[in-house]
Amino acid sequence: MKKLTFTIKKRAFAVMLIFAVVFTALSVRTGWIQFVNGKDLQRKAIEQQTKDSTINSRRGVIYDRNGKILAKSASVATVTVSPSQIAEAGNAQQVAESLAAILGMETEKVYSIITKNSAYEIVKRKIELEQADQIRALELKGVHLAEDSKRYYPYGSLASHTIGFVGTDNQGLNGVEMVFDKYLKGLPGRVISAKNARGTDMPFKYEKYINPENGANLVLTIDEVVQHFVEKHLEQAIADYKVTNGAACIIMNAKTGDILAMATKPDFDLNAPFQLNDPAVQAQIDLLEGDEKTQATSDALNKMWRNKAIVDTYEPGSTFKAITAAMALEEGVVSLGDTFNCTGALKVGPEVIRCWKAGGHGTLNFTQGVENSCNPVFMTIGARVGNSNFYKYFRAFGFTEKTGFDLPGEADSIFYPLDRFHEVELATASFGQGPTVTPLQMVQAYSALCNDGMMVRPRLAKELVDDDGNVIQTFDVEQVRQVISAETAATVRNILESVVSVGTSKSAYIKGYRVAGKTGTSEKVPRNNGKYVASFVGFAPANDPEIIGLLMLDEPMGDLHMGGQIAAPTFRKIFDDVLRYLNVEPQFTQEELASMDITVPAVEGFSKADAIKAFENSALNYRLVGDGDTVLSQIPKGGAALPEGSTVMLYTKETDTGDVSVPDVKGYTVSEANRIITNAGLNMKLDGAESTDGNSFVSSQSPAAGSTVPRGSVVNVELTYTDVH
Amino acid sequence: MAQAKREPNAPKRVRKTKPMDFTFLIIVLILLAYGLIMVFSASSATAHYKYDNAFYFIKRQFLWAILGLVVMFVVSRIPYKLYYRYALHLLGISVFLLILVPLIGVTVNGAKRWLGVGPIQFQPSEIAKFALIIFLSKSLSINTNALKKFWTGFISYLAIIGIVAGLVLIEPHLSGAMVIALSGVVVLFLAGARVWHLLALIPPAAGALALAIALAPYRMKRFTTFLDPFADPLGDGWQVIQSLYAIGSGGIFGLGLGQSRQKFLYIPEAHTDYIFSIICEELGFFGALLVVILFVILIWKGIQIAVHAPDSFSSMLVSGIIALVAIQVVLNIAVVTSSMPPTGIPLPFFSYGGTSLVFLLAGMGIVLNISRYKEK
Repeated sequence: MKKLTFTIKKRAFAVMLIFAVVFTALSVRTGWIQFVNGKDLQRKAIEQQTKDSTINSRRGVIYDRNGKILAKSASVATVTVSPSQIAEAGNAQQVAESLAAILGMETEKVYSIITKNSAYEIVKRKIELEQADQIRALELKGVHLAEDSKRYYPYGSLASHTIGFVGTDNQGLNGVEMVFDKYLKGLPGRVISAKNARGTDMPFKYEKYINPENGANLVLTIDEVVQHFVEKHLEQAIADYKVTNGAACIIMNAKTGDILAMATKPDFDLNAPFQLNDPAVQAQIDLLEGDEKTQATSDALNKMWRNKAIVDTYEPGSTFKAITAAMALEEGVVSLGDTFNCTGALKVGPEVIRCWKAGGHGTLNFTQGVENSCNPVFMTIGARVGNSNFYKYFRAFGFTEKTGFDLPGEADSIFYPLDRFHEVELATASFGQGPTVTPLQMVQAYSALCNDGMMVRPRLAKELVDDDGNVIQTFDVEQVRQVISAETAATVRNILESVVSVGTSKSAYIKGYRVAGKTGTSEKVPRNNGKYVASFVGFAPANDPEIIGLLMLDEPMGDLHMGGQIAAPTFRKIFDDVLRYLNVEPQFTQEELASMDITVPAVEGFSKADAIKAFENSALNYRLVGDGDTVLSQIPKGGAALPEGSTVMLYTKETDTGDVSVPDVKGYTVSEANRIITNAGLNMKLDGAESTDGNSFVSSQSPAAGSTVPRGSVVNVELTYTDVH
Repeated sequence: MAQAKREPNAPKRVRKTKPMDFTFLIIVLILLAYGLIMVFSASSATAHYKYDNAFYFIKRQFLWAILGLVVMFVVSRIPYKLYYRYALHLLGISVFLLILVPLIGVTVNGAKRWLGVGPIQFQPSEIAKFALIIFLSKSLSINTNALKKFWTGFISYLAIIGIVAGLVLIEPHLSGAMVIALSGVVVLFLAGARVWHLLALIPPAAGALALAIALAPYRMKRFTTFLDPFADPLGDGWQVIQSLYAIGSGGIFGLGLGQSRQKFLYIPEAHTDYIFSIICEELGFFGALLVVILFVILIWKGIQIAVHAPDSFSSMLVSGIIALVAIQVVLNIAVVTSSMPPTGIPLPFFSYGGTSLVFLLAGMGIVLNISRYKEK
């Protein structure tokens, strides 16, 4: 063999050097990727290598002010599948059948979901834990159960517009659920787990948990009982007065602005918020198709969800007169003794504007003007206040700005453009026609009258508490501003009290509670369509108001539509229940004490002599039936309250009590009705203020005419006044 | 030896005066062990998903390695002169087998590269690599001045290289052809080819490469992918991007042995061509540097053996075999680090693959055999 040459040695060495250089270059290149591009590549790698799934946080509970649960979340499960894993297992048909059976779905539907070309699909959301356990027991590969939660509203439709509801991902969609979503929802946790390129399970488990933070619990100012009273009476009013466009009512603590009740009717079931409450509307929508149907459904739902108390504006009508009175008194342009002459109309500039009372009220002082809700009186004092001052107070009473309330969608009020606000506009605005406001603004404005001139902001949220009841955050009571002086406020309160006790709002009178307030009736625009808004704003007790209430009935289409005829009586029923429930101390006047109902003594089982003795010192009459020695039964029963002079039937023998038919007294005056009922062997009890003159008649009675009741039973009657506005 | 006398130019009998190069052997064993560990780590995920047995690949690779070591020690006892004598036969057989491949070859992944009956399969290109180096070393050690002339010398040797490489290229097996051509050229260089001849080779070689790329659409695609792998991250760019993710995730010390996340089906068949990126991910820059350093020592010791070889044939043979390994390492790491367009080329000692490991260790056996002969 040839000897090894120097050339080969030299070149072998050169080859080694070349490779050394190339290897160095490749090392540098590797280092470059790892150190210079490393961070970016690593981030992207981790992004693809990990599966990041959220663990829902538990949504906070919503309580009423007394700790009653208005909304809470319960654990449910959501069934998800990993189609790629099911494909790997190759038992899609079997999985579809088992899932369909448990979930009550169609097998084909389930099959189409679990065979999609994806790594993750939702089969069904929010199933009960019982169903989830059944699925878990099957141990199907690729079928997963995700923890989820479902919102429950124990009171169903109660305060539905105020509480609001959540969507499928538990996000607040309406009401306080929406506004306080950030507190209620908490912070979702996460599970970060490794995954392979196919998205299927790893042979080992790598998981990192970040625990969810539960949402805070929200305590509302709402009182479930008050809300309940309000809704009961609202529903009754809608039925009685054929109210076609809904009704709203707000009850607010006059001192703190706490909203005790806020109701809109008709309402909807919070546990099924996407179901229309009116089957007729649903039937109409069902006739449509495609986009039209979607649009119509969405419109109908939005209408159903509207919280009339804050989202709708209305012309306040005569309820605004209290505000005009406050302005005039505060500006010193009127005093209580000033006299006015109402001829039934007043010429303002080029226009002749009528009083609601044809022929006019004649001569009357200012207090009487308010009591009678006389339009010319208010046009006159409005003119004295003047355009710029009127607007100044309109602003001061908070009508030009949103209240900043805790619910979404507060509407803007509408006032005249200032360059078109002249004497005619001033005249009508003075008695509440023209500008539109929201019910909530009205309530807020009245709070100035109640609190010696200091207006308070309505609030719905009281505080946030943790699961142990510790307060996390308190939402403060906010005073907006001093609008009028304390004296003016007190004067207006006195006048408004007499509006209820002797004026146009007698239907709102409640014995002992010093209710003050003002009715309002406004004709909706376009006028002369027979569409009205009847309303009442009031508070009690007049000397130191505890609560303010506003009631609004939109488009009553029955025989009656005036605020005094339909809003005031409903308001009285609500306030009667609420004031008693809140244990507001009654303050009786001398006359009230005199006309107090008398509690019937319980004498059943008494001897005849003892029974007679029990009635001796009572202002009630009795009538003995039978000749036994012991009172076997009595009607009315002991404890019932009857007006003075009523008769209690005492039976001393087992006998037919002698049922009688209730006579029809509707349309009669109080005295006529009393005579008819007494003659029938029954007792009459009057709800509301007693009439001092002949301007009232019975508008309703209970029990209804024709029903059969035991002799001596009580017939409640309610009056309507002809001299109302 | 009786046979030796028949060949006028046959090397004279040399006395074995020293044991084989122990350092070289240790380096080979370290590389082999390192490679087995990494094959186990990198293949476990694929084995788990594909065969439900994490040991599926490593068991096979381990058995191949045992066989390879046996082969290496047997070959290290076979006097290298045997190859000298049968150089032409070996080349002839190789060319014959390469011609057989397109006719009766086994198709794997769309390319006919394998010959075999039943379980015994091998790539003729693996034999051809060695056969060409042996043939060139012999022929050039005889015709010492042949390369001085351009046409009759240099070009005619290139033609021989071209025929072998061309047969591999039409399989198609571009990377194999490249390895064969480059290692052949290295032998020409060692034998004293003029540098300007070699430099003149670059333009036509580049042209041929460009043509090979342009003519096969899949190669063209690979080339554009190399230029911008992120243009099609889920398609052609996938492997390159996943490889870069793996390397980038490693950092200095890596995620730890066995901790690769990219091997979970992100890098397809992570235990074969892209095993280097798993090394980077699990053992970081240091693990990768260790691989490079081990190869550099292997090359250094190999060249040392070549420089101290008993004759020019054995010297060129050792250098050629060492170059063969080095070229594959360079190409593999360049592909994995996206420094050149992707082409399927295994990393010697590391990538999973039984027959190529056995051939590789056989080559190491030749080097070890030559290391036993004394310098003259």
